[in-house]
Amino acid sequence: MEWTRRKFLKTTAAAAAFAAAGADLIKGGAGNAEAVENGIKWGKAPCRFCGVGCGVLVGVKNNRIVATKGDPAAPVNKGLNCIKGYFLSKVLYGKDRLTKPLIRKGDKFVEASWDEAMELITSKFKESVEKHGPDSVAIYGSGQWTVFEGYAASKLFKGGIGTNNIEPNARLCMASAVAAFMNTFGSDEPMGCYDDLDLGDTYFLWGANMAEAHPVLFSRLIDNKLKNTRVKIIDLGTRFTRTSQMADMYVSFKPQTDLAILNGIAHVIVKEKLYDEDFIKKHVVFKKGKENIGYGLEEKYKFDDEPKGITFEEYREFLKLYTPEYVSKLSGVPVKTIHEMAHLYADKKRKVNSLWTMGFNHHSRGTWANNLVYNLHLLTGKIGRPGENPLSLTGQPSACGTAREVGTFGHRLPADMVVMNPEHREKTAKIWGVPASKIPAKPGPHAVEMFRGLDRGEIKVMWIQVTNPFVSLPNLTRYRKAARKEGRFIVVSDIYPTRSTELADVILPSASWVEKEGVFGNTERRTQHWFKLVEPPGEARNDLWQTMELARRLGHGNLFPYKSVEKEMWEEYRQFTIGQGKDLAPYEAYHKARGLRWPVVNGQETLWRYAEGHDPYVKKGEGLKFYKNKANDFKAVIWARPYEPPAESPDREYPFWLSTGRVLEHWHTGTMTGRVPELKRAYPAAVVEMNADDAKRLGIKNRDKVKMSSRRGTIVLPAEINGRGKPGKGNVFVAFFDETKLINELCIDAYDPISKEPEFKKCAVKIEKA
Amino acid sequence: MNEKMGKISRRQFLQGSLATPLALALAGGMVTMPFLRRADAQGFYLRPPGALDEKRFLGACVKCGKCAQACPYNSVRMAGPEAGVAIGTPHIIARESPCYLCPDLPCAKACPSGALDAKLDDVEKVRMGTAVIVDRENCLSIRGLRCEVCYRQCPLIDKAITIDPRHNPRTGVHTIMEPVVHRDKCVGCGICEKSCVREKPVIVVMRTPPKQEDYYEF
Amino acid sequence: MEEKRLKKWTLLRRGVQLGSVALIASPLAGVGIFRGNLESASLMGVKLSDPLAALQAMLASGVALPAFIFSALLVAAFYFVIGGRTFCAWVCPVHLVTELGDKVRSRLGSGERTFPLSGKKWLLLLTLIVTLLTGLPLFEIISPIGIFNRALVFGSWAGLLVVGGIVVTETAVARRLWCRSLCPLGGFYSLIGRYSPVKVRFSQAACSGCGDCVKICPVEEVLQSALGEREALVKSGECTCCGACVDICPTRALAFTAGYK
Repeated sequence: MEWTRRKFLKTTAAAAAFAAAGADLIKGGAGNAEAVENGIKWGKAPCRFCGVGCGVLVGVKNNRIVATKGDPAAPVNKGLNCIKGYFLSKVLYGKDRLTKPLIRKGDKFVEASWDEAMELITSKFKESVEKHGPDSVAIYGSGQWTVFEGYAASKLFKGGIGTNNIEPNARLCMASAVAAFMNTFGSDEPMGCYDDLDLGDTYFLWGANMAEAHPVLFSRLIDNKLKNTRVKIIDLGTRFTRTSQMADMYVSFKPQTDLAILNGIAHVIVKEKLYDEDFIKKHVVFKKGKENIGYGLEEKYKFDDEPKGITFEEYREFLKLYTPEYVSKLSGVPVKTIHEMAHLYADKKRKVNSLWTMGFNHHSRGTWANNLVYNLHLLTGKIGRPGENPLSLTGQPSACGTAREVGTFGHRLPADMVVMNPEHREKTAKIWGVPASKIPAKPGPHAVEMFRGLDRGEIKVMWIQVTNPFVSLPNLTRYRKAARKEGRFIVVSDIYPTRSTELADVILPSASWVEKEGVFGNTERRTQHWFKLVEPPGEARNDLWQTMELARRLGHGNLFPYKSVEKEMWEEYRQFTIGQGKDLAPYEAYHKARGLRWPVVNGQETLWRYAEGHDPYVKKGEGLKFYKNKANDFKAVIWARPYEPPAESPDREYPFWLSTGRVLEHWHTGTMTGRVPELKRAYPAAVVEMNADDAKRLGIKNRDKVKMSSRRGTIVLPAEINGRGKPGKGNVFVAFFDETKLINELCIDAYDPISKEPEFKKCAVKIEKA
Repeated sequence: MNEKMGKISRRQFLQGSLATPLALALAGGMVTMPFLRRADAQGFYLRPPGALDEKRFLGACVKCGKCAQACPYNSVRMAGPEAGVAIGTPHIIARESPCYLCPDLPCAKACPSGALDAKLDDVEKVRMGTAVIVDRENCLSIRGLRCEVCYRQCPLIDKAITIDPRHNPRTGVHTIMEPVVHRDKCVGCGICEKSCVREKPVIVVMRTPPKQEDYYEF
Repeated sequence: MEEKRLKKWTLLRRGVQLGSVALIASPLAGVGIFRGNLESASLMGVKLSDPLAALQAMLASGVALPAFIFSALLVAAFYFVIGGRTFCAWVCPVHLVTELGDKVRSRLGSGERTFPLSGKKWLLLLTLIVTLLTGLPLFEIISPIGIFNRALVFGSWAGLLVVGGIVVTETAVARRLWCRSLCPLGGFYSLIGRYSPVKVRFSQAACSGCGDCVKICPVEEVLQSALGEREALVKSGECTCCGACVDICPTRALAFTAGYK
């Protein structure tokens, strides 16, 4: 076995061998995730960065990561990586790694022992809960929490302290996708998987710069195009990107009008009767929700959608407004193109996929945008079958696995359950071994509201783990100030000093990635496990330990009675998923497998949910069944969602649209990639991408410094014209990785009232030569 | 007294002792030096935008350093004695700080002697050299990884460097996105060389090889 | 005459020398009035070029920009008007260094011999011939003036060895060897200076014959030739107009004059 394994590791080419090994691994039989070569011990892990979930092999020598390489046995990436993944071995070894707890003394931080730091934190939590109740404390985590870290935080706060004040940064990135999965299919996360990238022939990319944000997946998509001349990639966006460059068709539209375009396509499909009538009858219901739903700019803004069932006729009536002519006028997309896209979606001979990311989700009508794209798949019946699916791409390694599946949101519980539902609370409390009354029925505040609560003073003590909110929140100035207000106590656990740790009262040094054991879940429902491979530096400790230590000191130690923590916690958590169509496998099954896509039933992973022959929950003869949507008679929902303008549009004073996003070289707020000298060299600092005509009009030349202001903030950046990204006329774009340039100070903290996800892609700015 | 001093020194000179050979050596050295060490022997120097061809550039440059003073990025350096006859001439070490192609080309404008073409007004017409992938086997993009940093950082993206996608037979489902430099568009600014993530850059700016004419259109 | 006199020309000259160095270094301090160095520069927007550097560059490359020629003529005209080798004594930083070096030398008492002044002109001719033949501006390559200036502005210190070498050679071998006998630029300016209106005038009536002027003169040959006459101008272009003789003369027998008679 050892011999085969070693040989296997050396073989990077033999695709057949991977397939064979892969099959073995999935059965949990052959293969060993660890192997020794030249004194380097190799272990497997998923990449620390984006939601693609590439597998890597981590080479360890003398308790240090000395190398990483793409895991040839990982089905996601088959040995490849992007440039961030290539430098994984350097990510943990920045010079300024935090190795000791630090306590604020005035404007300085002084080193402290773990006991001192934890005692201080415990006393602050205790004091706040006693004086102001459990809702005065909060924890803010992320889609980079391992399943264990998220689970422990949720269990402690919801089941121990008795507050739903837990949110992940995934609220800033995936919440709209979640809301639409729930209100359309009754269950979160996609039906399809990455195999659809090989099997389809038509790909609509909506507000997704896959080339930079999902590098290895994009490479897979393009390969399909290279193999098959039929393949057509249509990229819709407000900025011409590297993705647009490789697409067959780039459709540029005015910000926010994606809602109208989607309805325009549906209009043509319905008007020309291009839809799949059988499918609609069998699998679809129609609904309408509230309109003019606001933007959440008011303090404590409350919104609940009021869905009403409608008929196909009523839906048809609703679509009448969205003639291609009307939509074209609104969006700038030619009438002909709208027709063409409708026919591509509806072409019976085409296997159509829609892929989207933050263009849809960072949207004050993000849930609607998600709903509207599902409409197209549901109208044409192109869903739940190999090679034709809508696929919401994620951006964090465990936005799915932790934030969404474990349910580390203010309103969620594990496996699609919510705190508002008494049965869900009951079930959760039972598994957790706490009284059901402990879990509050009132959802906790969503991320923006949580930080507003911190500002207003309702939240006094906040623990931030694995994320950098004081760079990544919108309307940042307000929340940065809030953190330093009198009477607030902020704990930040991180591996490096960040713009968030600088606002903390206590900084805890964390273990990262393979310095601890963990599980992540990627975009395609793939659950991936890794073992601890190296010790964390200095006194740094796992966030899981930190959370459990707080629990112990608060007297909630009984919540975590495990001897073998990860394994026992996993098996406890797994109970939530069994029989719910979200089944996870026993812990050991993940030790060798390069991830398994849930539901895993009888050791078999599921590639296509809701599809007979693929999903064990769908019985023979049922074909396709949205079995999680019991409330809608196991049917999916086509939503009549109108076009509505964004919270803030350009005007005379602020004539440009500002959009923000990622670049390939850096990840999120750059705290990790910024410490890799090679990546820093490759892309040293943020720029503002401008349209060439706009720049010319303003007399701005490439690399000129420009001053950009919104109603909330001002920033000075060099202009980049005709570079990797070319925003449409009237648009500018800034990547948010540069911690010295807090672009989010300019962003508006408007959010989608349904998903509560903020609008990072649209606000109004003015630009002057600096 | 004065008379005497003058006479002595003249006599000393005539006697020659040490001085004559010294003067001759100096003069001889001056004569032979240019022949001994042409700048070519030192390899390729990346000159600021608008430079004459190397031979004429070495003639025309008066080493005043105004181009270097005009560069907002301190990319233009003045060569030291290691450069032989090119001592004191401006050049760019792309790996350390490349030419960022200021649209108004202040370095070329600053040149008094015409060694740099002060009339140059279009950065796309700059020809400093040509980027070449010198080490294909170490290029991460050519190995199938999603790097292409050189391409995305190229100020003439999609013109000077394009991506040539091809099937990756190793994985069977991915694309090798190979950066390809086009010498008729590449200005030789060296931003690619600077940004390459490998320890030794696999893409470097070199002297543009002369075009060999024929009549094929591809 | 033991009366201590203010060496006003020398003081003024030191001020100009140091001022020139400061001007060349001024961009380092962020002052925007000067760019470049003694090879070519812009001073408050006026382009100025060393005429010999320009001549070499044009001979070597065949490129002759009118603005460049004009900037060189401007400088040539300027030094013509104020005396040719005034550049050497008043502006050139190498001269400043070797002057200071010479003070050390005279204290050591070494290297008292001198070489003929005419060497410069021959080397100038050689420079121009080699430049024309090789396409390389020979003097610009080895010029210690350029090396000094670049060291000042860009910190390329290695080249300063050449300047140091000159000082050491002069100390050991011959007094003011570089500036008197070798520097082709000095040769060039001596040609211009020959016909310059600014000269040192000697008036025998006032001369006490003390010889201090000859002792202090860096190019004593040319001063000496004037001293024998009743009323004479130091005609040679080799005079650097340093004013040392004017300053030292106890009887004010020497003075600057301007204009032709």
